[in-house]
Amino acid sequence: MKKETSPARLQLHNLHLAQGERTVLEHVDGSFQPGAITALIGANGAGKSTLIQALMGELRPISGEVVCTVPKKRRAWLPQQLALDLTFPMSVEELVMTGSWPSHGALKGYCAAHYRKGREIMARLGISHLAHRPLGELSGGQRQRALIGRTLMQEAELLLLDEPFANVDSETVEILIRILRQMADEGATIIVVLHDMDHLQRLADDVLMLTGGHCRWMAPSALTHSQAPAHVVPFTLGEHHVGTA
Amino acid sequence: MWELLNAWLVAPFDYGFMRRAVVGGLALSLAAPPLGVFLVLRGMSLIGDAMAHAILPGVALGFLLAGFSLPVMSIGGVVFGILVALLAGAVSKMGGQREDAAMASFFIISLAAGVMLISIGGSSVDLTHVLFGSVLAINSTALLLIASISTLIVITLAVIFRALVVECLDPLFLRGQSRHSGWVHSVFLGLLVLNLTAGFQTLGTLMAVGLMMLPATSARFWSKRLEGLIGIAVVLAMIASTGGLLLSFHLDIPSGPSIILLAGAGYFFSALFGRYHSLAAKWRRKTAPLSADPST
Repeated sequence: MKKETSPARLQLHNLHLAQGERTVLEHVDGSFQPGAITALIGANGAGKSTLIQALMGELRPISGEVVCTVPKKRRAWLPQQLALDLTFPMSVEELVMTGSWPSHGALKGYCAAHYRKGREIMARLGISHLAHRPLGELSGGQRQRALIGRTLMQEAELLLLDEPFANVDSETVEILIRILRQMADEGATIIVVLHDMDHLQRLADDVLMLTGGHCRWMAPSALTHSQAPAHVVPFTLGEHHVGTA
Repeated sequence: MWELLNAWLVAPFDYGFMRRAVVGGLALSLAAPPLGVFLVLRGMSLIGDAMAHAILPGVALGFLLAGFSLPVMSIGGVVFGILVALLAGAVSKMGGQREDAAMASFFIISLAAGVMLISIGGSSVDLTHVLFGSVLAINSTALLLIASISTLIVITLAVIFRALVVECLDPLFLRGQSRHSGWVHSVFLGLLVLNLTAGFQTLGTLMAVGLMMLPATSARFWSKRLEGLIGIAVVLAMIASTGGLLLSFHLDIPSGPSIILLAGAGYFFSALFGRYHSLAAKWRRKTAPLSADPST
């Protein structure tokens, strides 16, 4: 389940996480390899968002540690509830270009080559025709593609996505699955919170399941077999549509 | 006709105080509206108002110490404005209270303290002067100060522009990208205080925020792009400050309210006839649903 071919970019050592005074997760261990897509699963309230917060350095563990060798500038987080202010007057192209921050910072002007790169990324995502469209006028799927465009521009090496396929059209799902796989093939470490079994089977190399305050690593194939343990059921049979696209 | 235009638009500037006032107004019109645009976009429209009150005790102390000396009053205003912003931030972090709630508490205390200080050391005329401004008081030193502060604001905004935009849109992304992301907000608040202290001489502490906010809120009815919003807001502010001064001169009314009321008229006009979200825009969409382009 965990490939040991190259050193892990992200490691968790006996992590104990809490929200306020309530312990959410205990004894979380594991390592995330470059090039691997890990599906993070669990029922609502199992601690997926808490773990992601800790992985991004936004939540300090009570004990244990998160060791991440990816520079902060090359980490990207696409939250489920978008922290984006969609009334902000910015176009798709401008959003994608903000991904140049690691190389350009706050002051350096964008050169023609960077604009070209931005346009290539938008073409890959099928949003070239939306380049000048304000963010507020995008559909959920178009917005998700634009945000992935920013992470491509950022050349993200660690990518965390919280339910990226929620409320997006099937064309976007196909494009995102293809792009995420390409990013992984190029060496990115990707962690995706998923609820849909079909998406999980198509995308994930590893599965990290959170249940009862603990974690369990498994192969995606372990989830498809009908002998999936009963404690997996709360995740798969919750309010979410198991096995549907 | 020409003579009438000359008498209304040109002749007032034969007076030195009017020339200084108009230059000061134009300088403020360059610096204030971009700050207002960002305040509106960040959903912090009322913070400007709060900060305008917050500078009052400092201005009052400066007045008590040195009389109507713009540099001293400005320094007092800047110090108090930053102090209140820091205190409000600290209280909200300490007690888990939202920053706007802490700010609301501090600004009303500041207003009372400022009015009290001026009343102790001056007359009701002084109080009116500080609260509502007077163009007659702009001398060369004051003008130099206003122009310097406006220049500083425009340059600093240009430097932090990209960071400010990214922070407005997605603060989390900026936090991941820059260790100095926290500074962007602080520098922005600092510029706000500086702008208000530069504006109070012409407009008064209470009216200074008007030249920042009204052109910015009006511009939202005319553009959907950031550059457009800033450009339109600056032009509207320039028209309001120059037009307001002329009205003040001809009708013998206070300059601050005159400038702000003209900007207010611009706001109502925009809300009625603007290109986006205005009454007329809604009416146009209702009458022509088949041909209406939703992106315009």
